[in-house]
Amino acid sequence: MSSLPTTEQQTPARDKSAAKRRDPLALLVRFQSLIGLVIVAIGGIIFSPRRHGEILFLAPDNIANIVRAVSETGIIAIGMTFVIVTAGIDLSVGALLGLSSVVTATMMINGGFGLAPTIFLVLLAGIAFGAIQGTISTRFRLEAFIVTLAGLQAARGLALVVSGNQYINISYGDGPGLAPPVFAILGERLFDNVVPVATIVFVGFAAVATLVLNTTRFGRYVFAVGGNERAARLSGVPVTGVKIAVYAITGFASALAGIVHAGQFNFGSANDGAGYELTAIAAVVIGGTSLFGGAGSMIGTVAGTIMLGALANVLQLNNITPALQLLSTAAIIVLAAVLQSLVRRREGLLR
Amino acid sequence: MASHVVFKRAAFRILLLGAPLLTLGTAAEAADPLVKACSKTDEFVIGFSQANNAEPYRQHVNDELTAAAKAVPNFKLQIADGAGNVNTQTSQVDNFITQKVDLLLISPFEAAPLTPAVQRAMKAGIPVIELDRKTVGEPGKDYTAFIGGDNYKIALTAGKYTATKLLPSGGQVAVLEGLPSSTPAVERLNGFKAGVKENPKIEVVAEQAADWLPDKAQTAFAAMIQAHPDIKMVYASNDMMAAGARLAAKGAGKEGQIKIIGTDGLPGPAGGIRAVAEGEWAATFTYPTGAKEAIAMAKSILLDCATKVEPVVTVETTAITSENARSLMGK
Repeated sequence: MSSLPTTEQQTPARDKSAAKRRDPLALLVRFQSLIGLVIVAIGGIIFSPRRHGEILFLAPDNIANIVRAVSETGIIAIGMTFVIVTAGIDLSVGALLGLSSVVTATMMINGGFGLAPTIFLVLLAGIAFGAIQGTISTRFRLEAFIVTLAGLQAARGLALVVSGNQYINISYGDGPGLAPPVFAILGERLFDNVVPVATIVFVGFAAVATLVLNTTRFGRYVFAVGGNERAARLSGVPVTGVKIAVYAITGFASALAGIVHAGQFNFGSANDGAGYELTAIAAVVIGGTSLFGGAGSMIGTVAGTIMLGALANVLQLNNITPALQLLSTAAIIVLAAVLQSLVRRREGLLR
Repeated sequence: MASHVVFKRAAFRILLLGAPLLTLGTAAEAADPLVKACSKTDEFVIGFSQANNAEPYRQHVNDELTAAAKAVPNFKLQIADGAGNVNTQTSQVDNFITQKVDLLLISPFEAAPLTPAVQRAMKAGIPVIELDRKTVGEPGKDYTAFIGGDNYKIALTAGKYTATKLLPSGGQVAVLEGLPSSTPAVERLNGFKAGVKENPKIEVVAEQAADWLPDKAQTAFAAMIQAHPDIKMVYASNDMMAAGARLAAKGAGKEGQIKIIGTDGLPGPAGGIRAVAEGEWAATFTYPTGAKEAIAMAKSILLDCATKVEPVVTVETTAITSENARSLMGK
C-alpha cells in the first residue's frame, strides 16, 4: 500500500532509517512513545499525591502496580506489532486470550493435565489458531480485518463451548480437580515482593521479540512485506509464509497472555479479554508503528503500553474521573497518528 | 469471648501479617480497635472499587453510597470504575493501597480474580467491606465483612411469588438469564427455577441468556413467543431485560397478556419501580445496594473504634408489586 518509489525497496527498512537520521521530525516520531512516557512520568511526579514527603507515584510498589496492570495487553501488543508492520491487523486477540484462559483452567481442573503439558498445548493451540487465520487470509486473499473479526467470534464461541457457559475457578493443591500450586506464581511478586511475575513474562517476551524484529532475517522480511509486498515477492521473500507466521506469533502472544491471565486471577472466563484488541492496537500506534505497514518499533510499542498504564495510574491516584482517561487516550492516539502522517508527507517531499 | 478474640487475632497476625507489622505494636491489647488510627475528629478516605459503572444498577449503588458518605463530614469517598475488567479492577485496588486509604469498599467483578488484591489490602492493614459480591475466603477473617443481597434468595422469592400469586393455576413460563458464566446470572436462574417448583403445574419452557441487555432480551423473548405462543409469564434476571421483554410482547401484540417480573427494582424513569407502578410489569424484586449499611459500618470502624463488626450482613429484598409501587416511586 506504500506510495514510495520502488527503486530502493530491496532494503526499505535500512534506507528509511538513514533518511530518518537526517530528519529531526522523523526522529521525534521514532521515539514519540518514549518521549510520551517521559512526559507522563514527569507529570506523574509533579501531580503525584505525597505522603510524609514520599512521592506515591514513584513508590516501588506503585511502579510494580503500573507494569503489572499492562502486562497482558503488553504481551498482546508485542504480537500485534509484527502483524501491523506487515500492514495487517488482528482483531481476535482479546477473544483468544479469553479462550486460552478457559482452556488453561479446564485442562488443569477438569482434565487433570500437569503444568507443562497444559502450557505447551495452550501455546500450540494459540499458534495454530493464528496460523489458520493467516492461511485463510492469504489463501483466499481476504482482508485480515474480516478474517480476524470472524476469528474473534469463533474464539468467544469456542470458549463458551469449552467452559459450558460456566466460569472456571482454579484452586490449587495435589490431586484430581486441583491445579499444581506452582502455577499460582503468576500472581505473585518476586524479589522482596516488588517485581510481579506477570511483568517478568512481559519483559522477557518483549526482549525476544525486539531481537527477532530488529536483528534477524525474518524481522527484515516482516518490514519488507509491509513496505512493498510486490517488491518483496520479486526479490525472493517468502511473502505468504511471513504473513502466516506473523498471525501465528500473535496467536502465540494471545495464548501466553491467556495463561498469564489464568495464573494471575486463578480463573478462566469466556468473557475476559473483551476490548483488549483495541487497547493493544492503541499501544502499537502510539508506539510509532504505522497501520500502512513497513515501519515500526517494538521498543515503541512497549513504551506506549507502559505510558497508557502510567497515565491511568496518575489519574486514579489523584481521583480524576475515568472519562478524562479515555479522552486523554483519544488525544494521544490522534497526536501519534498526525505525527506519523507528517513524516510520511515529508519523506514524499524529500525524494 | 474477649479472650477468644484476642487469641484468634494474635494467631491471625502471626499467620498472615508476618513480622514487619508486629514490630510496630507491643503485645495485642485486649480487643484492639480494627483501625488503630480511628477517631471522631479526623478526616478519612474511603476507596470504593466498583465492578462496572456501565451497569445502571451499579450507578445506582454509586449514587446511594455518595449520598450516604456525604452525610458524614469526616468521610471522603473515592470511586474507581473497574469497567467490567478484572485486571483494571485489580490495579485500582492496588492504587488504593498505595494511596493508603483508610477503608476499602469493593464490589468485585468476579470472586476468585479479585481475591489476591483484597488479601493485599488486608495485609496492608486496610479493613475491607465487600458489597454485593464476595471474594473467596471467610468473612471476618480474609476480609472484614460482606454486605449485600442474596441473589439466589431473591430469585427464589420471585419464583415462589410466581407459583402462588401470579400463576396459581399454572402455565408456561420463560426465563431471561444474565451474562452466562457470571455468578449472579447463574444464581438468579437457579433460584427462580427452584422457586417455581412449588407449583407442579408451572412449566419452564424456555431459557435464554441475554447478557443483562435490553436489546438482546427483546430479540430472545420475541423468538420465545414465536416458539411458545402459550407463554404466560417471563422472569427477567434484571430490570433492563424486563424492559426488553415488554417490547417483544408488545411487538407480538400480547402486551398485558404476558406477565413480566424484573429484578433489581431500580428507581428513576427507566427503572423497575416506575414500570410496575404504571402496570407495565407484574412485579420486580429489589436487589438492595447495602450502601447505607456499608457507610454505617465504616462509621463504626473509623469513628467509633469498633473492635469487631458483623462479618455477614444480608440485606433483604422487597417485593415491588402493584400494591406498593406507587408509594415507593420517587424515593
